[in-house]
Amino acid sequence: MTAVHLDNVSKSFGGVQVIKGISLSIQKGEFVSLLGPSGCGKTTLLRMIAGLEEANGGSIHIGGKDSTRLPPERRDIAMVFQSYALLPHLNVLENVMFPLRMRRLGNRAEQRERAEAALKLVQLSHLAQRRPRQLSGGQQQRVAVARAVVSSPQVLLLDEPLSNLDAKLRETMQEELIQLHRQTGLTTVFVTHDQEEALSLSDRVILLNAGRIEQEGTPAELYAAPRTRFAASFMGSTNLLEVALEPTAGGTIARLPGGQSLRLDGAAGQGNATVMFRQEDARLTPAPTAEVAATVVTRVFLGSRTRYVLDFGGHMIRCLPPADQLFAVGERVALDIPPDRIRVLSE
Amino acid sequence: MVEAVPSPIRAAAGLYLAAILLFVLGPLIVVCGVSFTAGDYVTFPPQGLSLRWYEAILSSSSYTGAALISLKLAVAVMVGATIIGASAAIVLHRGRLPATSAISALFLAPLVLPTIIFALGLLTFWSATIGQTSLWALWVGHTVVAVPYVIRTTLAVLSTSDKYLEEAARTMGAGPWRAIRHVVVPQAMPGIAAGAFFAFNISFDEAILSLFLRSPEITTLPIQIYTQLEFSPDPSIAAVSTLMIALTILLIFVIDRVLGIQTVAG
Amino acid sequence: MNSLRNDLIISVPGLLLLGFGFLIPVTGILVLGLRDAEGGWTAVHLLRFLTDPFYLGIAWRTVKLSLVITAICIVTGVPLAYIMARGSPRLRLWLIICITLPLMTSVVVRTFGWMVILGRGGVIPDLMNKIGLVNRNYTLMHTETAIVAGMVQVLFPFMVLSILGVVLRIDQRLEEAARVMGCSFLEALRLVILPLAIPGIIAGSLLVFTLSASYFITPSLLGGARLPVLAGSIYESATRTMEWHFAAAQSIILLLGVLVLLIPYARLSRRSHG
Repeated sequence: MTAVHLDNVSKSFGGVQVIKGISLSIQKGEFVSLLGPSGCGKTTLLRMIAGLEEANGGSIHIGGKDSTRLPPERRDIAMVFQSYALLPHLNVLENVMFPLRMRRLGNRAEQRERAEAALKLVQLSHLAQRRPRQLSGGQQQRVAVARAVVSSPQVLLLDEPLSNLDAKLRETMQEELIQLHRQTGLTTVFVTHDQEEALSLSDRVILLNAGRIEQEGTPAELYAAPRTRFAASFMGSTNLLEVALEPTAGGTIARLPGGQSLRLDGAAGQGNATVMFRQEDARLTPAPTAEVAATVVTRVFLGSRTRYVLDFGGHMIRCLPPADQLFAVGERVALDIPPDRIRVLSE
Repeated sequence: MVEAVPSPIRAAAGLYLAAILLFVLGPLIVVCGVSFTAGDYVTFPPQGLSLRWYEAILSSSSYTGAALISLKLAVAVMVGATIIGASAAIVLHRGRLPATSAISALFLAPLVLPTIIFALGLLTFWSATIGQTSLWALWVGHTVVAVPYVIRTTLAVLSTSDKYLEEAARTMGAGPWRAIRHVVVPQAMPGIAAGAFFAFNISFDEAILSLFLRSPEITTLPIQIYTQLEFSPDPSIAAVSTLMIALTILLIFVIDRVLGIQTVAG
Repeated sequence: MNSLRNDLIISVPGLLLLGFGFLIPVTGILVLGLRDAEGGWTAVHLLRFLTDPFYLGIAWRTVKLSLVITAICIVTGVPLAYIMARGSPRLRLWLIICITLPLMTSVVVRTFGWMVILGRGGVIPDLMNKIGLVNRNYTLMHTETAIVAGMVQVLFPFMVLSILGVVLRIDQRLEEAARVMGCSFLEALRLVILPLAIPGIIAGSLLVFTLSASYFITPSLLGGARLPVLAGSIYESATRTMEWHFAAAQSIILLLGVLVLLIPYARLSRRSHG
């Protein structure tokens, strides 16, 4: 069953088209991330689902109902804002009860019970009587989440809820969000600019670029098989090379202008193209042949691994090889990439 | 910093502050002093101490009558200016209406326009359309003058508040009117309350409009004082004035409690 | 979202009040200044003001006094603003309350206070008499000095708050740097603070000048009938001599003068608060 369906939705602000005819469907219970750089339209899209922005074209269906012209209070949604937006004049429990009051769900006693249950879900029952200003950032964020899940909405919307937290707290909250999603089963739409976050939380990722969907799929698909240059460089740390493809028996050779080459699997095409491979797929060995020779330019010690910046025929390449390999700056190494880990990109 | 301010300059600054305060508060202190005089004339320092002049004004029907009128008017102005000013502030804060800057200019214009021009205009307009001036005319004038103050204090609070609260309330099921009632107004309340007290004070003290629009039946307390000043000032004026000063000081403290003077003066 | 419609509904009472209670009356009076007794357009009332030396003298007195008041406010306001800016927040708050208190009391109360201080037998003439400077009947009432004193008392906070806002925003490290580079305290004030405070001084001056030109009760009571200012003349024409058109024409002139000063003020304050 489709929880959210957008059909050719578009939006302009003062003559500038910010969302250009986007269609997408989100199934009941799915955790979907809207991912993209700033300005790509992901927050605008989320706000359109919420009814905080009105679509200029297309339609929005929530829970099977045409909600395009409905104001936010008549849509079956809940939203966690980036700044949490807790009501300062109410305490934590009253904040969590607020949507139940406004949407008139149950009597006062039932509302109180549901709110207390939601607070228990985020482990903040002991702070029920406090005011928002007495809470830490992480605690405020939890209250915002409890307040959003309490009304069991058709769809839960989160607008970069973790971006104001420090790294450690963010990791913890990510894990808790996954738990929460499993426990509540709520359809969730999550906006973020952090691709790692999107990959770790979502059932499906929708990558947006300049108001259009660049690519959508499972985290694994998006990471391993990006289709365009943009998708490849946005997801993970990628190396992009301009090559000339030459088909051979058993595969394809990607040749660089300087003469170096890499092997690809299968018939990957012919002529000029862009290929990509991930940092961590590169293997380095000493004693290179001319075709795969690279010089170590910089070495960055990261603790668990070491990142190398190599000069590969004039191209700067970043590699994150296995930890047991250690090379000195200036050393010549062989760049070895498994052929199935090099992909050809369409623009 | 070591010796950030040289000590002679520190001393001079202290003296300077004292001099400023003396100049600025002097007249008010003098008025209070005169009000307690036991003598018959307006002198400072007072000749002996007594409460006779306070007794005098409390038993004077012209003073108590004027005070009652001022009080009634001030309460009515407080109510009107608060409702209109708070509503205007909410709308201006959102900034969604097409002519927001024009509307803002209109609402804040009474601060800028010399009150005497407004008083003259209101008098002629009222006389030409409605006829004899009444307490209602004065109410209109005072409210117009007080509204900008309510708008300023309310906006001061609204501008520092979380602008997503209203949207959040909408996503929680509150319609636009309920969002205002449950979220915007509680948020703005310190500003609205401070504005209300400002409005009361402004109306109670107002003299120019009250002068232009006066008639024997509508004499406010300041105008009562004004006419006494023109004829024969006696210490009764000092007593009334001291009570008015006390009222103003009380209101300032209430406003500070509710909102904080720095928000208003900044 | 029907937000626009809701916004309009909310603003309607205010728009009605300001429209009928303010805009129309004010426009009406301005128009009245340009009309003659039959209802046609004329500039005769304006010309009467602009060509009669008596009235030009009133305009000049208004401008002259406003200049003096503004100058005094600048000279006394800058040091106070600095003291308040660099002092403790508590001191600052108390000083703000003290200097704005006169503003919040009724004008008649303040003026009465000045009458007691400056009038015959009042505090200051009495002091001067005791020292032997003047005789027993001396009075400072109905002098331009009295007007200036009364007006400075009230307009002073406008100047101070204007400068205070600007000085508060001056980075204290600039003063520290100046001292490290060899300036004394006073030199740092003169070479660093003062130049940076100028926008606040200008804004404050425009405001104080405008307000002092518009005031009427304080100059009338403290200056008396023989030292009228423009606003007082308007009152005279409207209530004593019943020359409504002339009063309205003078209002036009006053308003034009005020607008001329307020437009640069508005632009200045928008920039510094931007």
